[in-house]
Amino acid sequence: MGIRRTMISIALALASASLAGMSARAEDVKLVLWSLDRDIQPAPNLIKEFNAQKNGIQIEYRQLQFDDVVSEAMRAFSTGKAPDIITIDNPNHAMFASRKAFLDLTDMIRQSKVIKPENYFPGPLKSVTWDEKYYGVPKATNTIALYYNKDLFKAAGLDPEKPPQTWTELVATAKKLTNPSKNIYGITFSAKANEEGTFQFLPWAQMGGATYKTINSEGAVKALSVWKQMLDEKLASPDTLTRSQWDSTATFNAGNAAMAISGPWEIDRMLKDAKFQWGTALLPVPSEGAQRSSAMGDFNWAIFSSTKHPKEAFKALEFFASKDVTMYKDFGQLPARSDLPVPPTGNPLKDSALATFVEQLKYAQPRGPSPEWPKISKAIQDAIQSSLTGQMEPKAALDQADAKIKSIGG
Amino acid sequence: MKRVFSSITDGRGFDLVLVGVPFTFLLALSGLPLLYNILMSFQEVDMFSLGSVIRPFVGFKNYVDLFTEPETISILRNTIVFVVGSITGQFLVGFALALFFWINFPGASWLRGLFLVSWVMPGLVVGAIWNWILSGDFGVLNFFLQQTGLMSGNIFWRSDPNFSLWAVILANIWLGTSFNMILLATGLAAIPADLYEAAEMDGANAWQRFWTITLPMMRSTIGAIIALGLIFTLQQFDLFAAITDGGPNNSSNVAQYWAWDLSFRQYDFGKGATISVIMTVFVMFAATVYVRSTRHEVRG
Amino acid sequence: MSEVARNRLLLALSVVMAAIYLFPLYWMYVTALKSGSEMFATPPSFWPSSAQWSTFAYVWESRNMGRYLWNSTVIAFGAVSLIAILGTGCAYVLARYRNIWVDIGLFLILMFQVLPASLMITPIFVGFSQLGLLEYPRLAVILAITAKSMPFFVVLVRATFMAVPMELEEAALVDGNSRIGAFFNIVLPLARNGILVSAILIFMQAFGEFVYSKSMIQDIQLQPASVGLNSFMGPNTSEWNNIMAYATMYVTPILAIFVLLQRRIVSGLTSGALK
Repeated sequence: MGIRRTMISIALALASASLAGMSARAEDVKLVLWSLDRDIQPAPNLIKEFNAQKNGIQIEYRQLQFDDVVSEAMRAFSTGKAPDIITIDNPNHAMFASRKAFLDLTDMIRQSKVIKPENYFPGPLKSVTWDEKYYGVPKATNTIALYYNKDLFKAAGLDPEKPPQTWTELVATAKKLTNPSKNIYGITFSAKANEEGTFQFLPWAQMGGATYKTINSEGAVKALSVWKQMLDEKLASPDTLTRSQWDSTATFNAGNAAMAISGPWEIDRMLKDAKFQWGTALLPVPSEGAQRSSAMGDFNWAIFSSTKHPKEAFKALEFFASKDVTMYKDFGQLPARSDLPVPPTGNPLKDSALATFVEQLKYAQPRGPSPEWPKISKAIQDAIQSSLTGQMEPKAALDQADAKIKSIGG
Repeated sequence: MKRVFSSITDGRGFDLVLVGVPFTFLLALSGLPLLYNILMSFQEVDMFSLGSVIRPFVGFKNYVDLFTEPETISILRNTIVFVVGSITGQFLVGFALALFFWINFPGASWLRGLFLVSWVMPGLVVGAIWNWILSGDFGVLNFFLQQTGLMSGNIFWRSDPNFSLWAVILANIWLGTSFNMILLATGLAAIPADLYEAAEMDGANAWQRFWTITLPMMRSTIGAIIALGLIFTLQQFDLFAAITDGGPNNSSNVAQYWAWDLSFRQYDFGKGATISVIMTVFVMFAATVYVRSTRHEVRG
Repeated sequence: MSEVARNRLLLALSVVMAAIYLFPLYWMYVTALKSGSEMFATPPSFWPSSAQWSTFAYVWESRNMGRYLWNSTVIAFGAVSLIAILGTGCAYVLARYRNIWVDIGLFLILMFQVLPASLMITPIFVGFSQLGLLEYPRLAVILAITAKSMPFFVVLVRATFMAVPMELEEAALVDGNSRIGAFFNIVLPLARNGILVSAILIFMQAFGEFVYSKSMIQDIQLQPASVGLNSFMGPNTSEWNNIMAYATMYVTPILAIFVLLQRRIVSGLTSGALK
């Protein structure tokens, strides 16, 4: 009797232990992901799909504002409350990677069948690299190019199939298109005193042969002088100094500007709002045959080094990467992949615009990478603003920026 | 024990508890963060040491760095212009409205209430609306100014360095008028009517009555309003973020916005804290003025 | 000029001034009804060419405004209750006496308001996270708002208490009331109007608070309407008509309550001085 009782209790104990063990295993791993994506953009939707797989990992989503991503991430990380995964703007990646706030993914990438470094454009890949190791995976990429209003071109006697190719042509075209009596500016772009201004200016400087480390070289001074000329001669609105790219391009859509410099995120809205024929072109170069360059925008995925579930987080990233192929069709964003063809969408206007951007992406260069990017960017913004408002000559302004950047030591 | 209890319900203890509890609360939630900021201005801080209080001590380095930056002086100057401009505007308009409605014609109290609208609207929304109104190419303000023939071209309120600060001041005056108006109205209502009657019988006209009775009687109210106004104006942030972003070229940048920019856009927390210390010093003056100007008030 | 004519003139004048002053508000309502590209038209149109009433329903649904507004109400209510409880007594004592301690108290009260929320958020966040308060996000925000707005409440209510005659309280004490009794039975009822008014004003401010809510409330189910509005207004926002529609629905309830109560509010503040 005693032995039986003991046997039963042992059996029961074993059973409950294994049941407990099973239920512990059956409990899902919960990951937290922060991103600025809104409902019509990748992250929340990819997360929904991922969670629907019910593979033992569930992801919780928090939406942040663009301006808050870095400060929230910092606050969270320094108080030990960082999420598992975050999307971060590519120029800010180095700040976290260099301090090992992000997880080193090199080994996991090496063993991955889904994420392969050679599939990515060099620019975005560079932005997730620090010290020859990978601290993230590019999520999407974008760049800027020239949009132009074909109807206004025709009205001004210009050939709508021949957009300006060089800086001189651009200024001359803008002059012909500017019509104050109709409240039409030749061109619109953004020189705002935040990252957008740097984002727009750097390609021009880079085409002139400068880098952020040599921001006062001749080519950059020439670029800034062209900007100054456009504003001085009222070819672009003075509000260019305080307006974002999105708001500036809205004036293009409304027919108040004949050309606009902005990115592929404008396309969907432009298709809806612009009631005229428009086209796209690569960014004009300083002179025929000069080196092309462009900005590189958009975000990277990264896993915080404080995560308790690195393997599961990486699995999530692999899932997201596997969905790159439908990214453009579903969300209008360009994956940072060189191995994926961008499928035609059936809308000829959209497809030709797309072709321009994909071509422009070949020349996209990252901002940095440098852990001190915000300060470097600020120095550049100050130079842009002070010369465009006439407080300083372009050369002097860029000299000051260069001194500042050298003292930051990025 | 009974003595303590009776003191609390019926003696000194009562006052102490009533004041002590809220002050402890405030010391913990407002005082400590203030100290944290002051401490941070003497340290070298980066994003990873935000969570701890022990960081490398660098003495006055942040202060020295701050004052060797070319833009510091002009930003501090902008702050003074902003504060003086806003308070003057808000005060004058608020006082004028308070006096106007004091005349008390039918419908006055109804209409007066409408002017308090700006107080209840969230700063975010107010900023967005004024951004729209002040836009250079299609802003409504320019439209009106042109229609009434006051000017022929467009003023780029947000993007012209000569105007950008005034654009924000304009929006801020709109925002703060209601506060001034209502407090001044309160002060006006406190003046006993018989003083005016006596003066009228003595032959004083409206202007003289204003100068010799109204203003002196309102002195402490005015002092209080200006001191409070200073503090609130120094906190004004949303309008800058929405309208000019401190630009162009720092022409509309002020201390409180700059502190935020340094801390959360350039991630230089030490410098941001330094500016907040400077602001604290400003406010100490204002607070002293307030305390002294209300000194002679007696209850009842 | 006759009395009637004078009154009419003053009324007309004040209507004009009110119209000018309220113009930004009008602009908000009008933009909410416009379609996307009409907003950029030059010259600006003062009445939408085709009023898009559907914008309101669309924004309400897609942005889940009901839940947002509920959270805003909870937070504002919580903050005002806490402020009223803590601040009223404090204001009473600061009005009752005047000595060096009260001077210091008033000075400190003002100093506590020095820094804008955007600079206070970091130390508060750090402190709260160490205390584990961030597990209760709305409570954390209520505490932060209380600290932010209490000084203002105290200053306003103190002025109200200053108008309650000391003789009344002294008479009550002579009659045998304890201090607590005198406070609750005599002084407080007389100051009721001023307290109510200040509370309403603080409620409106708290309803619009967003800096603290943005950082401390990470769960979208618990976020207030101000954060909801802010998330609308990213760098790539051109849906100004949607934003203004959201702002309209966000602000109008407060405005409505306010307009209904404003006579009481204004008389509450100004009657405090009636001797």
